[in-house]
Amino acid sequence: MQRLRLCKLSVWDLCEEKMSITVRFKFARKGPVRYLGHLDMLRYFQKAVMRSGIPAKYTEGFHPHQIMSFAYPLGVAMETDGDYMDLELTEEVSPEELSDALNAVMQEGIRICGAARLPEKAPNAMASVAAADYEIHVDGAHPEKLQDVLMTAAVNLMKEEVLLLGKPQEDATSSADHRKKGSKKEKKAKDIRPGILSLTAEEREPVLRMRLLSGSALNVRPADVFSLLAERVPEEELCAVRIIRKEIYGEKDGAFVPLLDMGAEA
Amino acid sequence: MDFSERKLALSHEILMQVEKPSQYTGGELNSVMKKADQVKVRFAMCFPDIYEIGMSHLGMQILYGLMNTYEDVWCERVFSPWKDLDAIMRRDHIPLFALESQDPVKEFDFLGMTLQYEMCYANILQVLDLAGIPFHATERNEEDPIVIGGGPCVYNTEPIAEFFDMFYIGEGEVMYRRLFDLYEECKEKGISRQEFLHKATQIEGIYVPSLYDVEYNEDGTLKSMTPKYEDVPERVRKVLVKDMDASYYPEKPVVPFIRAAQDRAVLEVQRGCIRGCRFCQAGQIYKPVRERNVDTLMKHAEAILQNTGYEEISLSSLSTSDHSGLKELLEELIGECNRRKINISLPSLRIDAFSLDVMNKVQDVKKNSLTFAPEAGSQRMRNVINKGLTQDDILNGATLAFKGGWNKVKLYFMLGLPFEQEDDVRAIAELCNEIAKVYYETVPKDQRNGRVQITASSSFFVPKPFTAFQWAPMDTMEHFLDKASLCKRSVREQLNQKSITYHYHEAGTTIIEGIFARGDRKVAAAIEWAYKDGALFDAWTEQFSYERWIKAFEECGVDYENYIFRERGEDELFPWDYVDCGVKKEWLLNEWRRARQEVTTSNCRDKCSGCGCASYQCGICVKKR
Ligand code: SF4
Ligand code: SF4
Repeated sequence: MQRLRLCKLSVWDLCEEKMSITVRFKFARKGPVRYLGHLDMLRYFQKAVMRSGIPAKYTEGFHPHQIMSFAYPLGVAMETDGDYMDLELTEEVSPEELSDALNAVMQEGIRICGAARLPEKAPNAMASVAAADYEIHVDGAHPEKLQDVLMTAAVNLMKEEVLLLGKPQEDATSSADHRKKGSKKEKKAKDIRPGILSLTAEEREPVLRMRLLSGSALNVRPADVFSLLAERVPEEELCAVRIIRKEIYGEKDGAFVPLLDMGAEA
Repeated sequence: MDFSERKLALSHEILMQVEKPSQYTGGELNSVMKKADQVKVRFAMCFPDIYEIGMSHLGMQILYGLMNTYEDVWCERVFSPWKDLDAIMRRDHIPLFALESQDPVKEFDFLGMTLQYEMCYANILQVLDLAGIPFHATERNEEDPIVIGGGPCVYNTEPIAEFFDMFYIGEGEVMYRRLFDLYEECKEKGISRQEFLHKATQIEGIYVPSLYDVEYNEDGTLKSMTPKYEDVPERVRKVLVKDMDASYYPEKPVVPFIRAAQDRAVLEVQRGCIRGCRFCQAGQIYKPVRERNVDTLMKHAEAILQNTGYEEISLSSLSTSDHSGLKELLEELIGECNRRKINISLPSLRIDAFSLDVMNKVQDVKKNSLTFAPEAGSQRMRNVINKGLTQDDILNGATLAFKGGWNKVKLYFMLGLPFEQEDDVRAIAELCNEIAKVYYETVPKDQRNGRVQITASSSFFVPKPFTAFQWAPMDTMEHFLDKASLCKRSVREQLNQKSITYHYHEAGTTIIEGIFARGDRKVAAAIEWAYKDGALFDAWTEQFSYERWIKAFEECGVDYENYIFRERGEDELFPWDYVDCGVKKEWLLNEWRRARQEVTTSNCRDKCSGCGCASYQCGICVKKR
């Protein structure tokens, strides 16, 4: 694996019409490494790909770089169990081998949990994003009844027909670049209720789970949902201690499908 | 899946309030984790500036890697917390911590600080303050880490001497093992801190300032510096690596997550410099030049690229063009990097057919500029400073480059050099004009890619210890600014003025730097005063306050002008004379006289000028010419 990239001519270089080979990786990040911003993650993966020796494709010119893209920028402090990165390769390698090669060079807190070859002409990861699941760990003024508070608050919030998001929400998980965008775009109050597909609270631990629309038409952020919920029970002093993205979905035949499965060739 | 939850010194709330939180959380690729209870020596290695700057420093990577190869030692990193976190740590009484273990620095055996530039002096106090370590070595007790300083600033330790228990003079690779052995022995035997410091003076390169009595003359100059004990050496000799190919080099450097100032693999091709430019301290203190051979370098390059995943590599040394195997090295490196899809970031090379060819291969000619560092505008001045670069060298290089498609030129100069006259300042503008002229003469109109762009910048000269100019007076602020505006005006008078842009650096920092560079122990009080008044991160222009520093000297009764504005007597004793860096004072004095006579001195490769470093018996001094 290590030296694969070093053999100069692969079959693909010899073909006139090169087929593009794109592989989608699913990854998780937990622990201290969650404080990295999106661009740092990008740089991290570029280096990891370099070390792993997988046959990444490079652009031409004086500053060759890998052709890599992410489904969804990971904000500072957001953890994930299911984020995605697409990478173009110069030759076919089995998804298992690719995952293993990358995992062999991963650092504390970052893991590859799967890989799949994308079909030709598949839309890129970012364009595919339709929805995402989140888990929010909550702290509050009354730990003894926190679960009850959350369950009631979640039910009540879902009963509301309109949820206006006013000023940009400064939240714990939005990265700096996120914030800048947010403040421009979200000057007008907008209704995010249609974007909250589900919202429930766990019975046994103070955890909220939600599925949110994440497309270009309406993109709902978990921290926004959380602050709307927390605003309604100010006396509980709720705060989100961890936000974990559980999965990102694309849409296929009217159903939400994890992005990795969008990749798997039929 | 194993997601270790390494403990962090800062809470989530705090991390969310500070800029770039991941600079404080450690865990980077190739950072070294050990078990604190399984090592005998814990070393906190501090670069007293922000993470992005400190992590770009090669010396720190070398020492970090080397110390961690010792099984009984755990070396961890510490940087200056930026102002946002600094305020929070003071408010919440959070002690300064090391990145790896996230443990308080106060619990360590050593706190090492690498001192790369004088403008970090206030940050030394910040680090001590946040760590909860008393500022003065004399106030520390058995609980405190041994505070040790290293880096180029130790070639005049005196302004900061009282803040350090010891200094390490010379290259870090050499003596730390012996220092640790001694420390472990003392710890086992229950020997006191004071006694350990005393014993450490027996190790070459180690200077313990508290073991010297310092007396001054009435005019403020140094009268004497005497060891308090008989076995404490009067002079401390620099230690250095004799065989660069056999010495440790970090093949697994720590790779920051966030973008550091130097975001690439670094290959140190040689240490030292053959050229004795008379203003240049690095040229003297790192003598003699010692090369790494091409095989060693290629071996390091391959290993580093494999271990880091960097997409770019750069060559580092004081004067890379002088490496005798450069041609071969670049050929091999370009081949290897093309295979691996790695960019090469070239150092500024002497411009000739060879370097232009190399640049052509690895950079986009249209986007990159040529760099010349003539340092002075007139040939007379270049003779004074012993800069062996002639106007012909520059114009011929430029001609070649313009033919090859370049049209951007950067030039670096200094103002305020000794014996400089108005004509020399004007010559800077004239030289720029000549280069522009060459462009219009060489490149036919239809092949021009717009106007030639010449950017000249000048910094103000600071006389430094261990240079021929250590006797020289420094220009005053007014002189500096007059010269800069004269230079600016002269540029405007040139025929090709539209092609020339001229910048000059800030003068205030230069004055303060000059005081630190050649000050003595009396300066320390002012550093403390300024720190308490809010001085911090002075290397960052927007943080620096000239007025504050001047006030600090005045408040503390420090006659700062005495350090910088007078020409020093030929027989004056200097605060740094106790350091033996190999270069003899008589030789430097002779260079000072030759400068006045505008006579140049040969470089080490052409002919040894007998500076004294041959006593180290290594590098160029023992090479057949
Ligand atoms: S070439 Fe001159 S200025 Fe450069 S490092 Fe050598 S001595 Fe110093
Ligand atoms: S002794 Fe001679 S060759 Fe050696 S560093 Fe000094 S001048 Fe150069």
